[in-house]
Amino acid sequence: MTTFNIMVGEAQGSVPVTILRVEGDIDASTHKTLQDKAAEVIEAGAKNILIDLGGVGYMGSAGFRAIHAMANMLSDDDSGGLSKSSHLKLLNPTEAVNRVIKTLGFDVYLDIFQDRNEAINSF
Amino acid sequence: METPLTSIENRVEILKKCSFLSGLDASVLNDLASRAETLRVGTGETIVTRGEVGSKMYFIVSGDVRVHDGEVTWATMQSGEVFGEMAVLDSEVRSASVTAESDSLFLSIERDVFYQALANDPGAFKAVLRSVLEREREIVNEIKTRSTKLLAFEKEMEIGRRIQADFLPKKIPVVENWEIAAWFEAAREVAGDFYDVFKLQTNPHLAIVIGDVCDKGVGAALFMTLFRSLIRATSLYGCMDSVVDSSAPEGEAGITGQVLLNSLYTTNRYIATTHAGSSMFASVFFGLLDPESGVLSYVNAGHEAPMIFRKGGEVELLDITGGVVGLFPAANYSVETVKLNPGDLIFSYTDGVNEAKNPDGEQFTEDRILQMAMPKDNNTETFLKIMLEAVLEFRGEAVQSDDITMLALKYLQTDPAA
Repeated sequence: MTTFNIMVGEAQGSVPVTILRVEGDIDASTHKTLQDKAAEVIEAGAKNILIDLGGVGYMGSAGFRAIHAMANMLSDDDSGGLSKSSHLKLLNPTEAVNRVIKTLGFDVYLDIFQDRNEAINSF
Repeated sequence: METPLTSIENRVEILKKCSFLSGLDASVLNDLASRAETLRVGTGETIVTRGEVGSKMYFIVSGDVRVHDGEVTWATMQSGEVFGEMAVLDSEVRSASVTAESDSLFLSIERDVFYQALANDPGAFKAVLRSVLEREREIVNEIKTRSTKLLAFEKEMEIGRRIQADFLPKKIPVVENWEIAAWFEAAREVAGDFYDVFKLQTNPHLAIVIGDVCDKGVGAALFMTLFRSLIRATSLYGCMDSVVDSSAPEGEAGITGQVLLNSLYTTNRYIATTHAGSSMFASVFFGLLDPESGVLSYVNAGHEAPMIFRKGGEVELLDITGGVVGLFPAANYSVETVKLNPGDLIFSYTDGVNEAKNPDGEQFTEDRILQMAMPKDNNTETFLKIMLEAVLEFRGEAVQSDDITMLALKYLQTDPAA
C-alpha cells in the first residue's frame, strides 16, 4: 500500500493562509483523509487553504470531489459559488494531475499556481 | 501498579466471564488460571496475525481490541471476551488479525496447557463442546439472517438495474445516410455511465450524448438518471427561464448552440446548486448533428475527446470546451462546430475504455484506441466490436473496474463509386 500524508503549514500573505502539503495518491481510499484534515483546520479557524499537490502522482474523481467539498466548506458568498473560489487554491500539480485538472476543466473553477509565494499572496 | 491478576481467584473470575469456559468445574478453572500467562500490549500493537499458525487463546482483562483483516474491521472486543480460541482448538492458521485499540491486558493459555487441564476432567470436554456448538448455532443463525437480507438486497439491485436500463435509449433512431451503434456495459449492477441518441422536436437535428458520472455504484446511478433526464428534457422541451444570453453563436449554429448551452447551463446550475453538498459531477459530450449537412455542433464538458476518423485516414479530436457538469454554478461552456463528410466516422467513449487496466495495472490509453481503430472498412457495429475485443484482450484476467460505454456514428457514402 502506498503511503498518504498531509503536512499542515501556515503562511502569512495579505491574510493568513493554511497550506496542506499532500504526499501520495488522492483516490477513493485517501480522499476522505484529505477532506477530514481540511474540515479540522477549518474548524480550528482556517479561512484560506492552499493545497500543495507537488507530491501527488495521481488524483481520481474522488479527489476532485473532495476538493469541491473543501471549496464549499470555505465558501462565504451568497451567490452559491458563482465565481472562482477565493479561499481555496491549488499549488504545483504534477504533470499527470494537471492533465486531469485540464480534462475535467477544474482550472476554470480554481486558481492554480506554480509559485508558492505568488499563491500565498494571491489570497 | 496493582493488577487484578495477583490472585488465582481473580484470574478464575476473568476466565469464567467467557461463555466458552463458563461450564467448567472449579478445579479445571483453577488449574487453567494458575498456568495462564499475562500479556500487556500497547495501543496499536498486533497480538494475532491472520494466516499465521497460533497456539494461544487470549482472554481480555482490560482494554479493547479490533478483530480485522487489514483495513476491514470484523468486530471489536472488550474485557470479558476471548479471541484466538479457534486456532487453539483446531490447530489451523489464524482466521483474522487482532490489534489493541488501547493499552490492554490479557491472560493467555497455550493449547497444550488447555488440553492437559481438560484431560483431567471428563465433563470439561463436554462443557467446552457445548459452548462451541452454541456459538456455531449462533453463527449459523446469523448467516441465515444475513443471507435473507442479501437476497432481498440483490433483488432490489436487480430492480434498480432494470429501471436504470430504462434511462438508456431503448431504440436508436434511424437516420437516413447515417449508421449509429452503441455499446454499454456496467462494471457493477448499476452504472454511472450513460449515452443518449434522440431527434429534436423542433428541427431536424439529432442529439448525441455520452456521459460519465463520477464514482460508482448506486450513488453514481442515481445521479446518472438525473443528468440524463435533465439534458434530454431541457434540449427537447426547452426551459422556462433561459439562462443563455448573447454568448451563443449567431445564425443556424446559433439555434443548435442555444439548445446545447441552454441544456448544459440549466443542468449544471440545477445540480450544482440543488445538490451542492453531494459534490457529484459528470463529464458530458453533447452534440447536435445536422444529418443533411453533416455539421456537428457540440459542447465537450470535461469528457474524453471524441475522435473523428476521416475517410482519408486523418484523425481529429474534439477537445473540451468547458469543465465538468454539476459542481460549479458559474461554469462556462462554449460551442464548437465540425463538419463530417460522407465516409467519416465519429467515435465517443467513456474512461472505461482508455483507462481499462491489464493485470500489470497499465492503462489501455487513448493511443491504443487510435492504433486499434479500423474505421475505414467497417460499419459502426463492427467498429465497436473490434474496439471492445481489443479492450477485453488487453484487460486479460484483470477485473472490469469501470463502466464501458461507446457510441459511433458513420456518415454513409451514397454514391457507391465514391
